[in-house]
Amino acid sequence: MNKTDIVISVKDLTVSFGSFKAVDGVSFDVHRGEIFGFLGANGAGKTTTIRTICGILNPSAGSVTVDGQDVSRSTAVLKPRIGYMSQKFTLYPDLTVHENMRFAGSLYAMSPKQIDERSRKLMEFIGLPQNLPDPVSHLSGGVKQMAALASALLHDPELVFLDEPTAGTSPQTRAAFWALIRRLAEMGKTVFVTTHYMDEAEYCGRIALMERGKIIALGTPQELKEEFFPVKPLEISFSATVQHELREALKQAGIVSAVFGNNLRVRASDRAVLDRACAPFAGQFDVREVPPTLEDVFLQAVSGRENK
Amino acid sequence: MNFSWRRAKSVAYKEYKHILRDPFTLAVTLILPMIFVGMFGFVIDLDYKHMRVAVRDNDQTSVSRRFLQEMASSGYFDLSPVHTPAAADRALEQNASPALLVIKRGFGRNIRAANPEKPAQVQLLADGTDNVQASIMGSYMQGVVQKANAVFMRDNPELAGGAEGAARLAGGQIRSRFLFNPELNSRWFIVPALSTIIIGFLAIVLTALTVAKEWENGSMELLLSTPVRPSEIVLGKLVPYFVLTFLDVLVVFVLAVYVFRIPFLGSFLFYMAACWVYITGALALGLVISVVTRQQQAAIQFAFAVGLLPSFIFSGFIFPIENMPAFFQYFTALFPQRWFLLISRTVFLSDAAPATLAAAFGAIGLFAAAMILLAVHKFKTDVEP
Repeated sequence: MNKTDIVISVKDLTVSFGSFKAVDGVSFDVHRGEIFGFLGANGAGKTTTIRTICGILNPSAGSVTVDGQDVSRSTAVLKPRIGYMSQKFTLYPDLTVHENMRFAGSLYAMSPKQIDERSRKLMEFIGLPQNLPDPVSHLSGGVKQMAALASALLHDPELVFLDEPTAGTSPQTRAAFWALIRRLAEMGKTVFVTTHYMDEAEYCGRIALMERGKIIALGTPQELKEEFFPVKPLEISFSATVQHELREALKQAGIVSAVFGNNLRVRASDRAVLDRACAPFAGQFDVREVPPTLEDVFLQAVSGRENK
Repeated sequence: MNFSWRRAKSVAYKEYKHILRDPFTLAVTLILPMIFVGMFGFVIDLDYKHMRVAVRDNDQTSVSRRFLQEMASSGYFDLSPVHTPAAADRALEQNASPALLVIKRGFGRNIRAANPEKPAQVQLLADGTDNVQASIMGSYMQGVVQKANAVFMRDNPELAGGAEGAARLAGGQIRSRFLFNPELNSRWFIVPALSTIIIGFLAIVLTALTVAKEWENGSMELLLSTPVRPSEIVLGKLVPYFVLTFLDVLVVFVLAVYVFRIPFLGSFLFYMAACWVYITGALALGLVISVVTRQQQAAIQFAFAVGLLPSFIFSGFIFPIENMPAFFQYFTALFPQRWFLLISRTVFLSDAAPATLAAAFGAIGLFAAAMILLAVHKFKTDVEP
């Protein structure tokens, strides 16, 4: 990809709280107009990274630049370009959605008319009713999340940061969120989104897997799958009676396996080794190739790191 | 990007909405001052009247009876005669009366003789466990003695026969005259000072919660990601609470002047200006607490400590500053409560020119400016825990 397309550049970023390194020497670039996904378990450092890029947390070491400008030194210029939706629910619970919007918009020097027009469009798109008369605290979780998203997008920011926007929402809400996110990217906005839903990660242009403050894998979903699964993973169906023996035999042969429902999912670089290990159980299992999912990639990346 | 009035106005408008949506706080803020003023104005009366005094009259002459009559008519003392020394002791020991007055035999004779070598004497034994009452009794007693002297002179022109005689009787006595509050009415003294306490306390508590609340419910994280600046947030939060607290000032003022009939002799405009400055300082102090603690629980505890203690102890509200050790006299100068209390009492009870209070006004102004700067300076612009 063209160099000039890099909008966010993170280099050797470390953020420490006391002796704890929440983010530990992370480097990556985000390109203009892409959906960049950040995956990882809770506490992996996703939120800390996103906050640092938004300029509300200072790096302990390393740098974050947006369009070549250091974030911590040019917050005044960058903040109007940023739309941030925190993982915490941040609207004022005692104000109505409309009042929250009016407040948020006015901080970006929008006129009441502009705010109303823009929020009407956003609400329409997300499928949120207009002019809810109740204070935000009376609304359901999904509606609150949508309102928070609308509030973050109100001033039409070119860089959108969404920290677990879909956590705890219904499948319909998630679908609406992702429709909006894709639409934003089509309009040329750069979207930086964290999630721990692996299926959502498939919608991202590129994803970074984060684990204990470090990025352990980075690329498009396709690239990651190819990187970690040069050979497609195998799924073994078996009769329950042999599960323990079978897993033990695989372990002896040095093959990593994971239980998925009634199946075992294994990654074997050498089919011959697998066949040999399973030979004693002939007739009691069945092997087939399956396409890898990001979940496979994630497990593989984490276990690979642990094995090192 | 510089300070934006518009963003400050947005924050102020939002805070105003918060206040309206929280009727409980609003009610407390407006009703608490009335309760305070009512409590101090009606219930707590530091004027001592009808203090019980046991009287042992060993003289039993018309002169001693005339003296006791004078004492009773002052209204400060309720006299109950005792007839034996044992009964006198009992009255003191059993706390039936906090004082015993003993008139010696020969009191009447000595008065008539008017011999400076042998003055007529009465003895007041006051219970020192209540030292305030005891010292008040002592000073009231002096008043009674003076008045009795005058009566005896009038009744017995011989005594006042010459200027020399008059001087002898009245001479050597200290005469105090209390200016501005001739009756030393404690209500006059306390109610004007109440605005100091009420504002000092309410203002600090009100704003101490606001920033901490935003940190706790996460909205601060969002605010920090927007272009809004600390100075705009501080100003925006000050204005609505300023209006609210100023309503309290007016409530206290109306109660003081129209319900308690306390004279207001000074410059109204100067008093209002002083209130505005004092309120601003107290609100800004609350913001400093909120900005530093970032937790409502801690903020409210700080606010109580910082708002209440100096108001009562270092302001001169209860303990006169002139009686403090030198170090504490200087120490109290750090607290705006002391200065505002001085302004408040002075403008209510005297028509002194505002210029005489310039130093006090300067002190509260300095405090307010310092607190605003401190609140802006200490405002954390990142979310590091």
